[in-house]
Amino acid sequence: MNTPEKPVPPVNSWTAPYWEAARKGKLIIQKCRDCQKYIFYPRMSCPFCFSDRIEWVQSSGRGTVYTYTIVRNNAPSAFLADMPYVVAVVRLEEGVQMMTNVVGCAPEEVHCDMPVEVIFEKLTEEITLPKFKPVKK
Amino acid sequence: MESIKDKVAIVGMGCTKFGENWDLSLNDMVIEAVYEACEDAGISPGDIQAVWFGSYWSGVPAPSQPLATTLKLDYKPVTRLENMCATASDALRQAAYAVASGACDIALAVGAEKLKDSGYSGLPTDELAMGLTSTALNTFRSRMFTAPGHFAMMATSYFNRYGLSPEEGRMMLAKIMVKNHKNGTLSPKAHFRREITVEQVLNAPIIAWPLGLLDCCGVSDGAAAAILVRGELARNFRPDPVYIKALQVAVGPQEGYMNPRHDWTMVKETYRAGAAAYAEAGVKNPREEISMAEVHDCFSITEAVIYEDLQFTRRGGAREEIEAGTFELNGKLPVNMDGGLKCFGHPIGATGLRMVYELYKQIQGKAGPRQVKNPGLGLAHNLGGTPGGATVSVIIVGPK
Repeated sequence: MNTPEKPVPPVNSWTAPYWEAARKGKLIIQKCRDCQKYIFYPRMSCPFCFSDRIEWVQSSGRGTVYTYTIVRNNAPSAFLADMPYVVAVVRLEEGVQMMTNVVGCAPEEVHCDMPVEVIFEKLTEEITLPKFKPVKK
Repeated sequence: MESIKDKVAIVGMGCTKFGENWDLSLNDMVIEAVYEACEDAGISPGDIQAVWFGSYWSGVPAPSQPLATTLKLDYKPVTRLENMCATASDALRQAAYAVASGACDIALAVGAEKLKDSGYSGLPTDELAMGLTSTALNTFRSRMFTAPGHFAMMATSYFNRYGLSPEEGRMMLAKIMVKNHKNGTLSPKAHFRREITVEQVLNAPIIAWPLGLLDCCGVSDGAAAAILVRGELARNFRPDPVYIKALQVAVGPQEGYMNPRHDWTMVKETYRAGAAAYAEAGVKNPREEISMAEVHDCFSITEAVIYEDLQFTRRGGAREEIEAGTFELNGKLPVNMDGGLKCFGHPIGATGLRMVYELYKQIQGKAGPRQVKNPGLGLAHNLGGTPGGATVSVIIVGPK
């Protein structure tokens, strides 16, 4: 039986810089030049003040786990090979939250407020995914 | 803005058995629910002047014409509608407004869903279910993200917010599911009519940690219906009509998907719909004035957070209330007397009317072994969507 592959994020004009940076091992997020708020995920205009004066800035790549789940069951797909795996919302130091995976430790070791830092996993030639691992003490 | 309070009454209701109804078609279930409602109201289907028909998934596109055929309606207006898991509640709302306006004297609200032979097992991808692609390529927040996944994240962040260890949190949630199953064994029409234990809930296979199989409701086949008339006509039909006190729907702007600092430990739409319904019904202190509630326990954590969003308890207060038995059948404020989604079942487009069916029977004193003592106002909470992007209906009904 053919099982679905992992989905590849579609890249468009306003998300392209994000994926280009990820490919180079950098995590960038947006910031509004008018209201100074950080923005994630990538937008064409600021969701807070509707300004289109948005710039890309480098994130520290550090944050904490805000919430998470451990996937132990799934429909047939390429994800089965990864189970059990952690899907998490990570709150970056800049304040924005991003949905991601926590890797590099046993799923049972993950907990809310756990300090994490970004790492990068190559998905295809085009796409590299930012993921997070525990910060070593 | 006027309140709907007491302008519309329910004079007849019907509900099929929920479950794996292999031997019934969607139409069979509609007939069963509607005929029970008509008999209860003492009318014939030919007396119905307009219909609002809710279905979420079954036979979509499900136009109105098959319903006219099924019920042999004589060229009467029929509208088929969908509003996620709150579909049936919205059918009731539309029918009630039509009656209140005087546009018709007798309206039918019916919701039906036939899922078990379709392969449908819950919310599919967000893109399919919520049309998110229409506003953004939502790859950064929730592509391919399931309902159990969303609500699991809610549970994890709730535990963390209120200082519960995963074990304490899972125990709290298990007790909610045990309660609903216990109540549901007293419901002849419930899908999963058996008791479960805390140990069974805790040891069930994990679906999306910390939620196991028994923290999650299933989906079912079923239908439910209500006959609505103007308040002042209600006693011509029966001595004990049930009056609508509030009808509120709150649809969120998907803030959870948009706001980079979204709080996952509450559902704002529930809070807002509840607050609006309390204002409409003139309820000042929900905990004291609401006698009983049927709420959308699609997952165990959902019900825990609903207690707080509907102001039955303070933020973070769910655990101590569960320990105190506040929401048990014989507690201060019984919740999900008929077993809720978890035990009674969840045929999506019928669920909201099933909730009102239970409140209606309770208010008339016809709930048998589930009967709540001296019921006054009953509340039905029906949630579509997930934390961060929800469509919530809150209906309040009661005696005159």
